[in-house]
Formats: sequence, structure tokens, C-alpha cells
Amino acid sequence: MARILFHLILQRGIDMEDKVIEVNFGPQHPSTHGVLRIKVKLDGEIIVDAQPVIGYLHRNAEKLSEMGSYPKATIYMDRLDYVSALNMELGYVLTVEKLMDAQVPERALWIRMMLVELNRIASHLIWLGTHGLDMGMLTPFFYCFRERERILRIFDEISGSRLLYNYFAIGGVYSDITPKSISMIKEFVDDYEKKLEEIQSIFAKSYIYVKRTKDVGKLSMEDSISYGVTGPILRASGKKWDLRKNQPYLFYDKVNFDVPTRQEGDVYARFLVRIEEMRQSVKIVRQVLDKIPDGEFYNKKFSKPMLVRLKATGESYIPTESPKGEFGVYVIGDGSTIPYRVRIRSPSFANLSSVPAMLKGYKIADLTATVSSIDPVFGEVDR
Amino acid sequence: MIQVESESVGKDGTKIVYVPKENLLEFMKEKKEEGFDMLLMVTGVDYRDHLEVVYHLLSTSTGNRIVVKTKTEGEVDSVTSLWKGADWHERETWDLVGIKFRGHPNLKRILLAEGWVGHPLRKDYPMDKKQYVNLAEDGEDTVSFDPSEGY
Repeated sequence: MARILFHLILQRGIDMEDKVIEVNFGPQHPSTHGVLRIKVKLDGEIIVDAQPVIGYLHRNAEKLSEMGSYPKATIYMDRLDYVSALNMELGYVLTVEKLMDAQVPERALWIRMMLVELNRIASHLIWLGTHGLDMGMLTPFFYCFRERERILRIFDEISGSRLLYNYFAIGGVYSDITPKSISMIKEFVDDYEKKLEEIQSIFAKSYIYVKRTKDVGKLSMEDSISYGVTGPILRASGKKWDLRKNQPYLFYDKVNFDVPTRQEGDVYARFLVRIEEMRQSVKIVRQVLDKIPDGEFYNKKFSKPMLVRLKATGESYIPTESPKGEFGVYVIGDGSTIPYRVRIRSPSFANLSSVPAMLKGYKIADLTATVSSIDPVFGEVDR
Repeated sequence: MIQVESESVGKDGTKIVYVPKENLLEFMKEKKEEGFDMLLMVTGVDYRDHLEVVYHLLSTSTGNRIVVKTKTEGEVDSVTSLWKGADWHERETWDLVGIKFRGHPNLKRILLAEGWVGHPLRKDYPMDKKQYVNLAEDGEDTVSFDPSEGY
């Protein structure tokens, strides 16, 4: 870090008059989690101002979605937040089903709920592992990816893909879950909590980790609401706001789980909230396994030959709780087979816009901890 | 009370309100005082004969949602003074749809390179014309139609 900083100072030169140095952090840097560039103004070690610059991964998924039929856009949703692709698909599919007044069989909804929760665990595990790397810990990375691998194998068994699934379809899911995959899920939820305990203790027992994250990157509740920050960051700032609880979709009102919150609003609080969320997700998956009914997994009205002929009118926006926060797709239909306007509300975009408020007044060494605690995924920020 | 043009309900059950663009800022101020403390997103829609700006508001205390729409030819008042999150969303709407926000502190392109020709989410945007970008410092990005001058 120091060497990079020194190199940058040499490149940019030092303005000796006001002693404020401008340093570029990223876009190619191991701890920016993709292609984030932050223009940091430094007074000595103190951050005076930090402005994120985004757009390096822009593909305009909205325009691409407006160019094909309704089911075609699902694959672009996969590629938004590629570490929790099923959560992205869910947001789109729910909205389009509302637009078409589609009836979805109960079994499909339960399957969706279970897989989305598993995907949430996988997404949080990636965050936890890379967050450890940013804080100088290599060990938890391997532990997290070992557990994540088991989830990916389950998805591979169910959908045939490891990362980008294209599994949720309008009117249900593409294929039924197999007995083998159910036994894999059971095996996973049986001992995951023990493994999580192990991973958590690596962090919580590390004196350096706790020192570097407590009282760092604080964001007040008022600021987070004003910036539109949602998800674990908002909950770590003291607001009990979880769409699964507050405005239930799927069958979240039929399962028991808690919404973890912390009052501190710092990096350590976000860590604790995400760890606890993984425990609650395991709890939900366990309940779904008991409650999942038999029956159809697909509405026959939406069978494959019909998919390209689907038409919709009106507008709809169904908010869902993705691992990063409130995700939803605002779709306007004009009565043809092609969506007229698709707007993606991506949580990381809004969360990242609060970076100036989080970093102001802290030291340059806190920057990596704070940025990684936001958990930005650039497929979703830049769309 | 600010006069609204018309009210309706979307397919998802959310109230949709049309406001004349002259009264937009006052109406939003009123809504914020009513408890809509979070601006979820700002969207621009190109209807070929006119543009529409769509605001999604959420009240985190009651859970109420409302959609506010304004018809415009290309310029509306900025709401950055009410919600800090409006900053990036309005920049994105300017970038991709080409709607100007009066009073925005830093209305620059956010996702595309500065100097990009056209706004991609307009319905008349030419999709067959490729543009090549050379990234540089802020405001100095160069965009060209010649493949040898960029990436």
C-alpha cells in the first residue's frame, strides 16, 4: 500500500501550497473488488474527500433487455450481481409475473425461496473471504471458498450451472429439484453452522482485525436513509428494515427468522450483521425443506413454445431483499412481446454513493476496510 | 396541497401520481415531510413524443411506497437538496436518457465516458454506430467513431 501511494505521489507531484494531495485508488487494485476508482484527497494521512468513479464495467443491461422478448432478459439479470445470480433473477421474474398476472405453482415458489437463501449464503461467504484478504488474513479465504464450493455443487446439480444459472423462469422454475440435490442441501445445512462458528472465530479472535474495524467507516442511520442505502449496511446502522420481514414476498411470512441489527454503524457491525444473516438463512432453508409441497414446478401456460409470445401491459416494480439490499426491476410493458422500458434498481449503486460520507475524516489505512465492508459487485453497480 | 394532474394505481398496487413539472420540487418537499425519507431511484422514460421522469419513494417508518411522474421536454428541477442519494441517480438519468436536472451540483456523465455522443436509452439512439473511447482524467475522455482512436 505504502509503495503504491509513494509511486502515485511521485506521478502526481505534491501541491505544497495547501498540502492536500490527490491520490487515485484503483481502478486496477486488488482490494477494489472489481473496477472501482476512488479519487481521494489527503491531508497527511487524513481523508479530506473521497469521490468514487464508476462505469468501467458498463454494458447497459437495460438497453439490452429492451431489445429482446421478456424471457430473454433473464440472462442479463444473471450477469448483474454474478455472485448471487438467483437473487437477481428472482427480482425480474417476480415483476414480469405480476405484469402478466401469471399464476405460479406453490412448489416453484418454495424452491425459489430455498435456492435464493442458499445463494445469499454463497454471496456473503465471498464477501467474508475477500474482506479477510483486504484486512491481511489469508486463512479465512480458503475456509469460505470451501463452504461456497458446496453450495455451487448443489446449484450445479439442480440447474446445470455453477455461477450463472438462468434457472428461474416466468411461471415457475425450469426443472424440478432432484432427491440427490435435496440430500446435498440437507448435508450442507446440518454442519454449516459449526463451520461458520469456526470462520467467525478467526475474525473475532484476531486482535488486529477487531482493532482495524471497530469505529471505522461509520455511517449514521439518517445518512444511510438519505443516501438510499439498504441491506446489511442499513441494518448495521440501527434500522430494522428487511423486506423479507417488512413487505414479505414469496412465503417469507410463513417461516420463522430474525432480522439482526446493530447500533454502531461501523465495519465491525456490518461484519456481525452479515454473519448473523447467514445463520438466519440456514434456519430458513431448514424450514423450507420441511414445508416444501409436492406438485407442479411449472405453470403449463408458460411452457417453452409460448415464452416468446408473452405480452404485457402496464408497469410494475416488485422489491426484493438481495444480499446487498433492495433489488427490484421496474418494467413498463406496451402490449408487445418486448418490454418497453426496463430499469434496474441495484442496491450496490446506492450503497456505493455513500462512500464520501463513510470515509471523510478517517485515515487512508481505513479505506480498504470501509470499501470492502460495502460489498460492491461491479456487475451490478455499472450494469 | 399541491395540485396533481392525475392519479392511478400500477399493476403492483403502488400509487402513481402525475405532477406538473413546475410544481415538482414543492410536491417532493411535501412528500418528504409526509415521511417518504428514501428515494429509491430516478428513472427516465422516452415516449418518443415526450420524456417522463419517474421517482420511486419509500417511507421506511410506515413501509408506504409512491411513484411520482413528471412529463417534460428534457429539463426538470433537481431533488438533490432533499435526498443525498438523488445525486448519482440523476447523473445516471442524464447520462443514459438525457434529461437535465436544474440545480444539480455536478451533472456529469457517470457510467459512460465524458464526451459520449447521444443517450443510449433514447428510442432513436443509433445502435449500429460504434463509438471508441480513450479514458483519461475527468472530463478529458475522448470518444471517436474511428476504431483506431480508442478501445
